[in-house]
Amino acid sequence: MNGFIPVENSNPLTAVRGLLRQLLESGLVDAVFVPMEVDGGVTVPALVADVDQLEHANPLVPAMSINSARVVAAMTGKEAPAALGVVLHPCELRALIELVKLQQASLDNMILISMDCAGTYEWTDFTAMQRAGELNLADYLGAATQGRAHNGHELRQACQMCTQPVPEGVNIHLQLFGADLASGIPVTLDDRLAEVLNIGAVDELPTANRQAVIEPLLAQRQQTRQKELAAMQERINANGGLFDVFATCIRCYNCSTACPLCYCKTCLFCTSAFGHPPEHYLNAARRKGAMRLPADTMLFHLTRMNHMGLSCVSCGMCTSACPSDIPVGVVFSLIGGQVQESFGYHPGANLEEPLPLITFQADEWVEIGERR
Amino acid sequence: MSDTNGFEPRIVAFLCNWCTYTGADLAGTSRLQYPPNVRIIRTMCSGAVDPVYALKPLLDGVDGVLIGGCHPGDCHYQTGNYKARRRYVALQQILKTAGLDDQRVWLRWISASEGQIFADTITEMVTALKDLGPNPLRQNWAV
Repeated sequence: MNGFIPVENSNPLTAVRGLLRQLLESGLVDAVFVPMEVDGGVTVPALVADVDQLEHANPLVPAMSINSARVVAAMTGKEAPAALGVVLHPCELRALIELVKLQQASLDNMILISMDCAGTYEWTDFTAMQRAGELNLADYLGAATQGRAHNGHELRQACQMCTQPVPEGVNIHLQLFGADLASGIPVTLDDRLAEVLNIGAVDELPTANRQAVIEPLLAQRQQTRQKELAAMQERINANGGLFDVFATCIRCYNCSTACPLCYCKTCLFCTSAFGHPPEHYLNAARRKGAMRLPADTMLFHLTRMNHMGLSCVSCGMCTSACPSDIPVGVVFSLIGGQVQESFGYHPGANLEEPLPLITFQADEWVEIGERR
Repeated sequence: MSDTNGFEPRIVAFLCNWCTYTGADLAGTSRLQYPPNVRIIRTMCSGAVDPVYALKPLLDGVDGVLIGGCHPGDCHYQTGNYKARRRYVALQQILKTAGLDDQRVWLRWISASEGQIFADTITEMVTALKDLGPNPLRQNWAV
């Protein structure tokens, strides 16, 4: 159903907080997961059980400290113990869908809330701007509804090349693109929710402005994406492989920690599987003349590409987390994207599409394995 | 030909217990001759061969990796080999895009009765790898 969330005093944030409050007060959900303001407007995700705390909620800020899919998975497990309202960016939503398919999370009793996403700033840029009082929410939203960044800082690279800024398959979708937020927030939501939340139906939402924002935005993002991916492929080819890209990796594991999909409780690379008896190192060094340490750095990244690449939702948190400024996310978007294409797989699109590596067709790639 | 330089490729083979490993065993008990360039590791199923098993020896400088499993439809665990095939497709694509050599990892279906085919496969692989030359990663310490 389509409708408008009424906005008073030209303050859409108050309206969104009111909506979350209603969700919680009505008993539709037992708690709301949403970014909350701490320390002068910087936001961190939190699970809110007390309605009064929701006055600090702010899901409209242009930043994400983490991709929240994994913490949402932690709160639901395979069977959610409570009904949760969960506010996510579109890329977090896609990651959550993947985690459900990987049997790490459940959407049971969950009310998913998302919005058109104009993109997010690097966390450090955002916190600096916010603390310096340079980030005016009205300005950002004004620019965001036009699908662009509003001031000096550039959006995260992953956001600049994001071609899926509009969430799919949510229960409440705030349609910010092209909206006049001073008068009301256009929203598409489930009928049962509209009733409880007292949102009256309108025949249709004004789509002209929205399309006028979305079409050029997607075109521009697609162009940036292709440019970045082509540049990465060129860099790989020119340097005899990926080694150059990961040459400065310090093996901090930030990329896998920040990755919403790298869910193993104990990563293979943090176990003794790759531990060796002391004499191994000298032998290995003698074999190749030298041995990079910590060992198996390229193996770590290539293994992650094999394990996670098919589910990669291009959120780019790995790039944001990398202290060596390695564009990990671009590599994953390039390599993961190509593998996804070979399997015709769209990570995070829906629950019905099975994970490519747990299914098969008997009559596919039949030439593989046969003698030539 | 690198052959004349005395280059002998080293192959690590992950063979499924039920088919290819038994096929290799048959090659041995049948006294079939094949090049001694292969080190065999027995796995319970080709579907149990994680890509990391293939990547580790490759990055350490091994010249070829062979994954051997039952013919499609014959998997002891019903579908393990089909899943191995999908993982292999992904691995090959990743190796290729990453600028690494996708010709060094082979997947072959060889049954328990195909001792001769196992011997032939190793012979073919050794020839192909000799043509390809040594794995350049054998010289690359910074991996």
